[in-house]
Amino acid sequence: MTDLDTRLIAAHDAGNLRALIGLYAEAADRMNDLDAACFYLTHAYVFALEAGTSEAAPLHARLKAHGREA
Amino acid sequence: MSQPLTDLGPVRASVAQARGLPNAHYTDPGVFEEEKQALLFSQWAGLAVAADVPEPGDAKPLEFLGMPLVLIRDSKGTVRVFQNICRHRGMILVDAPRKIEGAIRCPYHSWCYSTAGALVSTPHVGGPGHNTHAAIKRADLGLVEVRSHIWRDIVWINLSGDAPEFDAAMAGLIARWRDFDLPVYHGGHDSRFTLEVATNWKLAVENYCESYHLPWVHPGLNSYSRLEDHYHIEAPGEYSGQGTMVYRQITNEHGETFPDFEDVGAKWNEQAEYVAAYPNVLLGVHRDHAYVIILEPRGTERTVEHVHLYYAVERSDEGLRMRNTQLWKSVFEEDIFVVEGMQRGRHAGGFDGGRFSPVMDSPTHCFHEWVAGRIEAHRAGAASAVRAAE
Repeated sequence: MTDLDTRLIAAHDAGNLRALIGLYAEAADRMNDLDAACFYLTHAYVFALEAGTSEAAPLHARLKAHGREA
Repeated sequence: MSQPLTDLGPVRASVAQARGLPNAHYTDPGVFEEEKQALLFSQWAGLAVAADVPEPGDAKPLEFLGMPLVLIRDSKGTVRVFQNICRHRGMILVDAPRKIEGAIRCPYHSWCYSTAGALVSTPHVGGPGHNTHAAIKRADLGLVEVRSHIWRDIVWINLSGDAPEFDAAMAGLIARWRDFDLPVYHGGHDSRFTLEVATNWKLAVENYCESYHLPWVHPGLNSYSRLEDHYHIEAPGEYSGQGTMVYRQITNEHGETFPDFEDVGAKWNEQAEYVAAYPNVLLGVHRDHAYVIILEPRGTERTVEHVHLYYAVERSDEGLRMRNTQLWKSVFEEDIFVVEGMQRGRHAGGFDGGRFSPVMDSPTHCFHEWVAGRIEAHRAGAASAVRAAE
C-alpha cells in the first residue's frame, strides 16, 4: 500500500477529487476484508458525491449491496 | 415586572409633537439585541441578491447579525438560504464563495448534503464502512432552511419563520410598483459596490426616507431636481420614502440613454421613486434602471451598505453603466458624513430624540412609528411569556 498511500496523500494535498475517487476505489479493491473494503469504498463514494461525477451511482450501488448505504 | 429598556411613548405621538427614537436605539447593545428580534428576525429582511449566485451550484456564505448562513442556487436553479452548519457537529460547511459541483461535504466528518439541503450521506456513522444507523434518520437531518423569497432579485429572509407571507407583508409596495413588475437584469461586476459606514442601520433608513436634506447634502441635484419637485411616500407599517417628478435619464457622450423597462408607462417618463422597505432594504425605480441597497447591520454603530444596479436588458452599454454606478456612488457617499454625524450625535447625553419638521419629516417619522410599534409588540410578547412561565 505504500505507493497507493503516497498517491492518496498527494491527491488529498492537491484537493484532487477525481484522483481521490479512483485511488480509494483502488484501495477498496485491494482489500480482502469486507469492512475494510467498504471503508475505502465509502471514501470513494463521498468524494464522487462531492464532485458530482457519474461514479457516485455505481459506488453507491456497491455499498448498498453490502448493506452499507441507504 | 422589569422596566422597558426605553420609553417609546413620545415616538408614537403625531409628527408635530413626536420625538425621535431615544439614543439607546443607536448605541445600546441591549436595545440592539431587542431590535434584532423585533425588527429584523421577525420581518422580511433583505439578505443578498439572487445575482450573487447566478449559476446552479453557486454558493456564498453570509453572516446576518452573527448568524452563519449560506446562499445557494440549487441544481434545479432555485435560490435557497440555509444555516451554514452541519447537522452533525454544527461545523461551518461553506467558508468561501464557490461552485458546488455535486454535494456539499462537511469538511469535518464528511456528512454530505444536496444543494437542496437533503442529507445524502453519513459516512461511517454506524462504524467504519457502515454508513447508516437506525438512530440517524437522514430525512430528519437536512440542512436547516431559512424562509426566503425573491422579489426584484432581492433575497428576503424571515428568520423567525412566522411573518405573514411575503406577498401579503409587502402587498402595498408590490401594488404601488406594479408598473415595474418586469424582469430586471443585474448590471454585473461594474454595477455593485459596498460602503462601510460608522452608523446604526436605522439612520441610513431615516436619511433615505426624506427629501428635506437633498438641497443641502446633494447640491448637485438642485440644478434640475429641486425640493419642491419631490413628494412624500408613506405607507404606515410597511414603507416610506420620496418621489421626484423631474427624473432625467443619464446619457453618454453620444447622447444615448439606457433602454426603458418596456411598457412601464408614460407616468414614469419623468417620475422616479425611492422607498425604504422596512426594515433594511432601500430601493429606487426609474424608467430605465433600478437599484437596491441592502443594509447589513454589523453592530450598534456599524453598517455595510450593499448596492446593486439593475437594467431593463441583459446587456446594457458598459460605459453608461459605469457612469451610472459612479453617479449613484457619489450621491450615496455624500450621505455618509450625515449618517455618521447623527450617529456620533447619539452619544450626547440627554438628547431627547429630536423634533421633526411636521411638513418635511413625516416619512422618517413613519419609520420611527413602525420601529416603536414593532418593539412595543415584541416587549408585550416577551412580558406575556414571562407571566405564562411564572
